[in-house]
Amino acid sequence: MNDVERPITQPKSQLVYWIFQLAGWGLFSVSRFVGAVVVLDLPWIRLTLELLFVGALGLGLSHGLRDYVRRHHWSALPLRKLSWRIVVAAFVLGTPLGIVTQFTGLSALQDPAFLKPYAPALSFQFSLSASIVIEIVNSAVLYIIWLTVYFTAIAVREHRSAQLKQSELARALQLAELRLLKSQLNPHFLFNALNTVRSLIADNPARAQNAVTRLAKTLRYTLTSPQDELVTLSQELDIVADYLELESMRFEDRLRIELHVPDEAAGVQIPVMLLQTLVENAIKHGIAQLPSGGLLRVSATVQNGMLMLEVENPRPPALVRTAQEGVGLQNARDRLRLLFGARASLELDLSHPSVTTARLRIPVNP
Amino acid sequence: MKAMIIDDEPPARRELRRLLTGFPWVEIVGEAGNVDQAAEMVETLTPELLFLDIQMPGGSGFDLLTRLEDVPQVIFTTAYDEHAVRAFKVDALDYLLKPIEPARLAAALSRVRSRQAARTPRPDAILEQIFVREGDRCWFVPLREVRLLSSEGNYIRLSWGKSQPLLGRALAALEQRLDPNRFFRANRRQIINLDFIETVELGVNGRLHAQLRDGPEVEISRRQARLFKTKMSI
Repeated sequence: MNDVERPITQPKSQLVYWIFQLAGWGLFSVSRFVGAVVVLDLPWIRLTLELLFVGALGLGLSHGLRDYVRRHHWSALPLRKLSWRIVVAAFVLGTPLGIVTQFTGLSALQDPAFLKPYAPALSFQFSLSASIVIEIVNSAVLYIIWLTVYFTAIAVREHRSAQLKQSELARALQLAELRLLKSQLNPHFLFNALNTVRSLIADNPARAQNAVTRLAKTLRYTLTSPQDELVTLSQELDIVADYLELESMRFEDRLRIELHVPDEAAGVQIPVMLLQTLVENAIKHGIAQLPSGGLLRVSATVQNGMLMLEVENPRPPALVRTAQEGVGLQNARDRLRLLFGARASLELDLSHPSVTTARLRIPVNP
Repeated sequence: MKAMIIDDEPPARRELRRLLTGFPWVEIVGEAGNVDQAAEMVETLTPELLFLDIQMPGGSGFDLLTRLEDVPQVIFTTAYDEHAVRAFKVDALDYLLKPIEPARLAAALSRVRSRQAARTPRPDAILEQIFVREGDRCWFVPLREVRLLSSEGNYIRLSWGKSQPLLGRALAALEQRLDPNRFFRANRRQIINLDFIETVELGVNGRLHAQLRDGPEVEISRRQARLFKTKMSI
């Protein structure tokens, strides 16, 4: 399923990320600007430039941090490991941001000598190193907040997408089962068979009873056989015979059947419903398309440890359709590959202008 | 009412025949098992109603309809191709799912009967509707709704509502079957529906220009213009 391959960031969440980034750092810069220029009356041109620089630096560092965090899959860490990493990362990034801030006009905000007129109670003096430490701590706290918000957002989103994926998965599974069931049931055959039965009830009640029994057997076989099961050729032929009997009631003398299955082939294991699929195809694309019908031939031989099965049907000449290659045949090939690898094969021979032959090769001892 | 059953499966034909015994006014004049046979029989037996299967050897029920010159009323019968029938954008036809429910058959037949009664009796030669197919889309086109028929080689382009479907026939052949009170040959290539004429203007050399509602302006040649004037008594 390609949901698994889906990248963690989608265009929409990318946009949300940048909105948050710009809003956060913008708010930070504006609040400092208001504090410095409006309240303290510092020269505003210099401060604007400095704030833009500090804001951009803060944003740039945090963006780099996000890259790092994602590359090292921090969001998958347990909370305890994550929290001390957050603190360390906050100080690693807070240090350059703090130092830079110290050498801008903003540092005046930490300078008691400058603040005195506004706050007379401040009578102590910070050393330069103490001021730097204060700036670094301030910046580190900023990054701690940043990372907390970031990981909270990620956690919420992952929880939501996990829920979604769960329900999508369940739905896809249901759909696949439904499709399989539908393709096995072959509704066209089913409804036509029911119509035949309805007709036979008046024409020939004994035949109608026979038809109902065979239809029930065919349905039970399709509904209860799992896809990966192997059956003997003779078991599969039983059900094919039931199916063909029903179809010949429908097509009457348009459908003629020949079966050649020697005893040594009857016991060979083949995937369930495989021969049935080939026979259904032969009727659908061959016999049913011809006004006067034709001969359906099924023959089996065993040679050099391989079972060769052939299903042959007449092909309407006008039919432009390239081949009888349908979903059924593709599905049959997939199952053969899964069960036998390269040792089994299924090919459709269209070289004869008016005959189609399906050839199946399966190893006798898998 | 003369009806035909067209289905490739003998039991299906027998079953329908049996169901139809409850409707003595429906007379089954023939049965066919494939398109070629059916096309021939429809031409000779001229049924008024077809029970038509969709999947048949040698062509579908739709193929049969495109081959018929005169398309009677149709009830499609199908085991599983209802999507194919529903793709039709026409209310003028019904479909029944096999095995057929007697109640649904009765309803379909009563619709057929009321449509038949609504039809004004006409001389047999005049066509009421034609079946047109273009790619996957099919229409029953009532001819009185067609405003213009233009010859394009061996085909006819119909101007009908917003569509311009192409019909695989020659204009001269179809002309014989058109209602002369409604359709008029404007020039060598075009036949117009008089009901759609909005205005007529005089042109050079005694030609006329007829403006059709929702449609193009059509030139009426000099020779036909004289006829047109007499016909319209102007």
